[in-house]
Amino acid sequence: MKLLLVGLSHHSAPVSLRERLAVQDPEAPLQKLRASDEIDEVVLLSTCNRTEAVVLTRNLEAARLRLRSFFRRDLGDGLGASEHDLDTYFYEHRDGEAMRHVLRVASALDSMVVGEPQILGQAKEAYKSAVDCGASGPILDRLFQRAFATAKRVRTETGIASRPVSVARVAASLAAQIFENLTDKRALLVGAGDMIELALSALRDAGLSDVCVANRTAERAAALAVRYGGSAHGLDALPVLLRDADVVLTCIGVDRPILTPELMRDSLRLRRGRPVFVIDIGVPRNVDPAIDSLDAVYRYDIDDLSTVADENTEERRREQVRAEAIVAEEQQHFDGWFAALRAVPTIKHLRGRVEDLRRGELEKALARLDLRDDQRDGVEAFSKALVNKILHEPTTRLRKEAEREEGMAYLELARLLFGLDDESVEDEEAP
Amino acid sequence: MVFVIHQLVACLYLAAGICAGVGLGFARPQITRVGFGALGLGWGLHLVGFSLLHTLDPTPPVTDIGRAVSFMAFVGVGAFLLLLRKARIHGLIVLVAPLAFMSEYFGLQSLGAPEVSAIEASGGMPHFHVLFGSAGLALLGLAFIAGVLFLAEHRRLKSKRSLARLPALPSLEALDRVNLLALTFGFPLLTLGLVTGALWVEGMHGVPFTWSLHEIGASLGWLVYAVLVVLRFAAHQGARQCATHAVGGFAVLFAGYVGVGLLL
Repeated sequence: MKLLLVGLSHHSAPVSLRERLAVQDPEAPLQKLRASDEIDEVVLLSTCNRTEAVVLTRNLEAARLRLRSFFRRDLGDGLGASEHDLDTYFYEHRDGEAMRHVLRVASALDSMVVGEPQILGQAKEAYKSAVDCGASGPILDRLFQRAFATAKRVRTETGIASRPVSVARVAASLAAQIFENLTDKRALLVGAGDMIELALSALRDAGLSDVCVANRTAERAAALAVRYGGSAHGLDALPVLLRDADVVLTCIGVDRPILTPELMRDSLRLRRGRPVFVIDIGVPRNVDPAIDSLDAVYRYDIDDLSTVADENTEERRREQVRAEAIVAEEQQHFDGWFAALRAVPTIKHLRGRVEDLRRGELEKALARLDLRDDQRDGVEAFSKALVNKILHEPTTRLRKEAEREEGMAYLELARLLFGLDDESVEDEEAP
Repeated sequence: MVFVIHQLVACLYLAAGICAGVGLGFARPQITRVGFGALGLGWGLHLVGFSLLHTLDPTPPVTDIGRAVSFMAFVGVGAFLLLLRKARIHGLIVLVAPLAFMSEYFGLQSLGAPEVSAIEASGGMPHFHVLFGSAGLALLGLAFIAGVLFLAEHRRLKSKRSLARLPALPSLEALDRVNLLALTFGFPLLTLGLVTGALWVEGMHGVPFTWSLHEIGASLGWLVYAVLVVLRFAAHQGARQCATHAVGGFAVLFAGYVGVGLLL
């Protein structure tokens, strides 16, 4: 049995191709693949950044061709590019490399943003779909369970996911370092453009719900306020709004700063010193940097946020080294288990051969002896126990030795010593 | 038996500090949880240790510096474990546990020191003085730790540097809440400690204040906190100033309350 992974991702293919090969409902494609003779088990993972099929097969080349055809014809619906061109977009991984790839993908080490949390959920969903329609089997079950455990280890044992790397998430993370809880805090949005909405979405994910919008054009302010269940105001209301705002998010086109130290000082007096987090993503800047001199004001402009994001990205890279070590360790465990499966056909054949001998000799012996039924049962039990005891040690050792590449010699030797029919075994179910 | 229990308590506090430091420093939540477990177990044993004092004959007084410092650690850890339910301040364990260990270790060194004979003749007042004063000092010590971390985090946020290579500290709001709660309960206890101390001194010398270094230091510390209480509750002083006051006040108080006691 061989593991084969074929797919394409943001590393290898443009979005125009990825979107054509994306799978919305995996059930039909999975059943189609599972129906192929050359594929024994299959899991299909499709996200906005990748579409991959991992299969267990007895015929590697046939499975490879089947998957190529599956991507080109079944998913791509007759992609226009020539076969040669398409080849450059796909990658293939076999056995150990395929295992490693699955572990890395689930652990978000192969993601566009390393350490992002969504991919694990998507991988679990893909695996569940395969289980639900009977496309997964014991080997891929084991592989994916190992992948989920690896992802968990990577998340808990390294800091790969602990630092945000987008400007919006950095702002939300900084807010969490100032405020214990954002659910009881109010945000004031100065401006009503797309950028401000993007930054707001990260803060809302962190629990912020009370929003008010101040904008030059009342209609746009109202439209944004309605979307988030807040109130809309003109810019002239800023001095009043600032009194109750814990988070101030500004992105508005202005010639000179609209938030000045004087304005903030007045509002802070009324706030009785409660802190304010000011996020200025406007260019030119909307907030006078001189407000940094006020104790309770924490101001970050777009450059400050980008600097923190860059530092966090660098930190993730450092943590990636530790994460890769965890993946290697987990791969080794799975690899050993998978390799040990090579011994299964030989062991099965050996046990079958010995069982035949036992039965034959038992029949001969019983024919010569005149025994009662309970005595016959006793002799049969004795013969079974004897065979099991004799075979226990060799089968255990064969399984263990098969985990190593050199262990194949032991399998060969066992076949030779016991006169096992190699060909039939290989054809039957050799992994 | 009691001595062995206190030794165990010190070990558990030390283990808690190490586990919490490793767990938070290397992002290993399981190890951090072990740290919290060790701290909780240590506190439980600490309670048993103090309770068993009453089974001894004669019951030893808690007025020696060793037991007072150990009691401070007991109250401080207990207050921290209680405050965990009120604020997300888990990161404080990296300071609370080692300080509790040092206090307990110091307490072990001093246990069994000769008692001041005058204490026995002064009724229960010395005990009240030590218990109230130590409890107040422990709570204000927590405010001190929260203040130190608040100032560090405030400075970092103002300088706009990332904490990428360091464990995340509790939020400024959580640290300020710890400061507020510790002050709310710590200051009245400290005041009671000073009043009972004055009554004790009056019982011995006929006057409530003898101008000893200990009395002057403790009174100065109390004054700093009195000003802080007024600024915090009446004048609504900002969180950073409160943190600075909490740090400064504790330094004066500790020097006056414990430092002088150690020197003399």
